Amino acid sequence: MPLDSSIYTLSALRLDGRRWNELRRINGQISTQQAADGSSYFEMGNTKIVCTVNGPQEQKRGGGRDQSNEAKVEVEIGIAGFSGVDRKRRMRNDKRIQEMQYTISSAFQNTLFTHLYPHSTIAINLHVLSQDGSLLAACLNACTLALIDAGIPMSDYIAACTTGSMASYADKEDEADPLLDLNGLEEQELPFLTVGTSGGEDKVSVLIMETRVQMARLEAMISVGLDGCKQIRSILDGIVRAHGKKVLESKVS
Amino acid sequence: MAPYTNIPLSPAELSYLHTSLSQQPPLRPDGRSPTQFRPLIAETDILPSANGSARICFADGTEAIVGVKAEVEKSRLAHTVPSNGEAAGQGVLGLGKGSARDVGDEMDVEGDESGGKGRDAWLEVAIEIPGMRDDDALPVFLSAMLTEALLADGGLKDRLWINSRFHWRLYIDILLHSQALSYPLPLLSLTTHLALLSTRLPALVSEKDEDPLFNDDWEASTYLYPPTTTTQHQKPPVTLLVMSVGATILFDPSKQELAVADSVLAISAAQSSTGELRMVALRTIDPPSRLTAAGVPNVLNTTTGATGAQTLSAADVLAMREKDQGQSVWRPPRGGVPRALVAKMIKMVVERGGVGEEVMEGLANVET
Repeated sequence: MPLDSSIYTLSALRLDGRRWNELRRINGQISTQQAADGSSYFEMGNTKIVCTVNGPQEQKRGGGRDQSNEAKVEVEIGIAGFSGVDRKRRMRNDKRIQEMQYTISSAFQNTLFTHLYPHSTIAINLHVLSQDGSLLAACLNACTLALIDAGIPMSDYIAACTTGSMASYADKEDEADPLLDLNGLEEQELPFLTVGTSGGEDKVSVLIMETRVQMARLEAMISVGLDGCKQIRSILDGIVRAHGKKVLESKVS
Repeated sequence: MAPYTNIPLSPAELSYLHTSLSQQPPLRPDGRSPTQFRPLIAETDILPSANGSARICFADGTEAIVGVKAEVEKSRLAHTVPSNGEAAGQGVLGLGKGSARDVGDEMDVEGDESGGKGRDAWLEVAIEIPGMRDDDALPVFLSAMLTEALLADGGLKDRLWINSRFHWRLYIDILLHSQALSYPLPLLSLTTHLALLSTRLPALVSEKDEDPLFNDDWEASTYLYPPTTTTQHQKPPVTLLVMSVGATILFDPSKQELAVADSVLAISAAQSSTGELRMVALRTIDPPSRLTAAGVPNVLNTTTGATGAQTLSAADVLAMREKDQGQSVWRPPRGGVPRALVAKMIKMVVERGGVGEEVMEGLANVET
């Protein structure tokens, strides 16, 4: 069993050598594809996501659709067959993928200044190249970077990460450490949630939990998650600033 | 295959392009020589969880990512193993040298009578283009073309043989990352070639026909296409797009150049174990130039003050256009391509020091 609790209590180190509050290696680049309006590449450990944004543009199938005064955010996620350990071709109408798409699009619908682009669509395309846990969180972060590259105004970054809880039954209260940024093996064994913040340290905009955990553990998990999101937000900001600096230097030298 | 039709060029521009490309030497819009390729970015081994992977970005912004995964599968029918093949396969076992891989190479050198242990079904190619369904015409056609080229010389599927009861099933997943701005076949083919060159399979430690057991150490894994330095080694095929304008032959055509092409061919070439390139597949592609609109000759053009449009009958107008034969204004190309020209195109790809060899050498030098 990968998370044999006895090893953890002895050394307080997880399988990959991290402590309970350490993030994995995070790496990101923006403007990776010239053909799209905005693009980004984001890695959270071994989870690698490529994101492209096309928009705001006119709706292709306009016709007689009821157009609101805001832009619509459409998200499509494609999980590549080679992304997991086993090769598995995933169909587009997988319920889990549809729910992730809806979560991401509603999160950005509220964060982007959609009132500036009425009757138009912002199309976000995500491709998962390799998955090793924190899929939804990495998707949200990659979308943030790509939308910034596309130049679409938003109120703040959406920074997301996952947290989990060490023990899942009642009588191990003292070992119930919350864990930050779970990898693939840990996600299969432990309860975890994805939390995304936007516009400040404790303004949660995304909170998804698919597993079950006791109520008493929830507060600790969320507070660790918020702290993790703060770290991720500063990493995302660093990526954007580094790119901006590079662009300026190439123009002004 | 529906050709790409989004060509925002007027008949005058098309005629200008056609004339400048028909010169000897041709004047390409970006100043390249006829066999010069546009710069591209290539990287391999980018995915930790795939057996092999590659990513290539072309200069026009199109990008493709290919991941290769392999799974052990039980062979459906026990196919007979020729006696010389079995003897040859008892070489050094396991631990650092993949014996099953060496069998594949020896098979090819001995000739065709001992080869052919592979099955076409062991290779699966899947193409994903965002915005298109999986059963749209373009992904289906492209995957059929790529599979045909990969299976044509038999070398790949023979390398997937483990023993008479088991074999490797190879899944090649191609992700065309950007919209299909120009015809994506050469991009996908080059990326697949690069991914196959970097594909590694676990080293076999079991013997003969027992259940396959592999070495856990990934460092001991063997390449699907082992890079030997002593002898020429076999390489996966590469498909190139070649177009002709009059008597001129151009490689790596841009979108503008394709819009005035007289003919477009997709030529797949593979390198055999002797180092020679052979053509393994050839397909003609309907050039998008056939869908362009013809220009209006001056005689019929009312804006130049000519009265031809009103005074001549429809039959006369048609006869006049036919006689013109596209000399004064642009006319979409008709008819086929001369055999000699096709032969010349093939020769330019497969000859020693030709374009095919240049492309393969370039890809072989991509560092991981």
